[in-house]
Amino acid sequence: MAALDPPPSHSAPDRVTVMQGEARASAEPTVEFSTVLGSCVAMCLFDPSARVGGMNHFLLAEPPTHRSREQFDEHYGLFLMELLVNEMLALGASKSRLKARLYGGANIHRGLSPIGTANADFARRFVVQEGIELTQADLGGNQARRVHFLPASGRVRCRLTAAQATPTQQPLRRPQSALGDVELF
Amino acid sequence: MTTTTRILTVDDSPSMRALLLHALTKHGFKVEQAEDGQMALDWLATNEVDVIITDINMPRLDGFGLIEGLRSSARHSDRPILVLSTESSDTKKQRARQAGATGWIVKPFDAEKLAMAVRRVAH
Repeated sequence: MAALDPPPSHSAPDRVTVMQGEARASAEPTVEFSTVLGSCVAMCLFDPSARVGGMNHFLLAEPPTHRSREQFDEHYGLFLMELLVNEMLALGASKSRLKARLYGGANIHRGLSPIGTANADFARRFVVQEGIELTQADLGGNQARRVHFLPASGRVRCRLTAAQATPTQQPLRRPQSALGDVELF
Repeated sequence: MTTTTRILTVDDSPSMRALLLHALTKHGFKVEQAEDGQMALDWLATNEVDVIITDINMPRLDGFGLIEGLRSSARHSDRPILVLSTESSDTKKQRARQAGATGWIVKPFDAEKLAMAVRRVAH
């Protein structure tokens, strides 16, 4: 007698909150990444062939005054982007197939430096420089966003939310203890 | 008389290449760039540098393949090769070491530390 197929699962997704400074990737159909963004930006990457997706969440810091090249600390932002791409490659994704969606970058607090705009500009510049196709961008404004991303299907839900729902976040600081550790063999 | 140290950076990310170019030229190094391990091997077949800085995860030929390819060539058997990667696992470091890498630097890198490491290993 042939075994019966198991009934379709309607169980709740395994929701994983992606915090600022984190990058997560998965190919599991039950996993859902979620995050709340104010000035921060989240990049959702998806490889439709490998069905692997990933999300990061960053807020760039203004660099120390002695560093003059970048208005914001893009170096650490680049690190988080690469971390996300590498996690996806490890799960079978190919960089040439990646499609990107960008969310966040709001300027919540009037009168302060437009750090949300700087974060959004950095993210847009990154996908252009890396040749990654940008399929959707919901950036800017002055309201927070809540984002849910199913990494195995690439589906995203993004909705505006009250600024009070956004946790107070400090810009990223590079981890000083591990910063550019050099190990000679 | 001092000569300018020549560096070949190998990374598939245009953003990272731009950052490395800026950081290393600011410290007085002459910088050449390749987009993956295969491009680096091809270029090094007819060109010379003092130090190679390579990423690990790259298309066509990754950093491990590049190191192994260079170490199998008499011309590059003792050329200093620094790995610059977001990876920090002991397993990968050990693999790079066995392949013949000179050192390992974890991203995000500090430009001062990177320059010091280059000066230390440059012949």
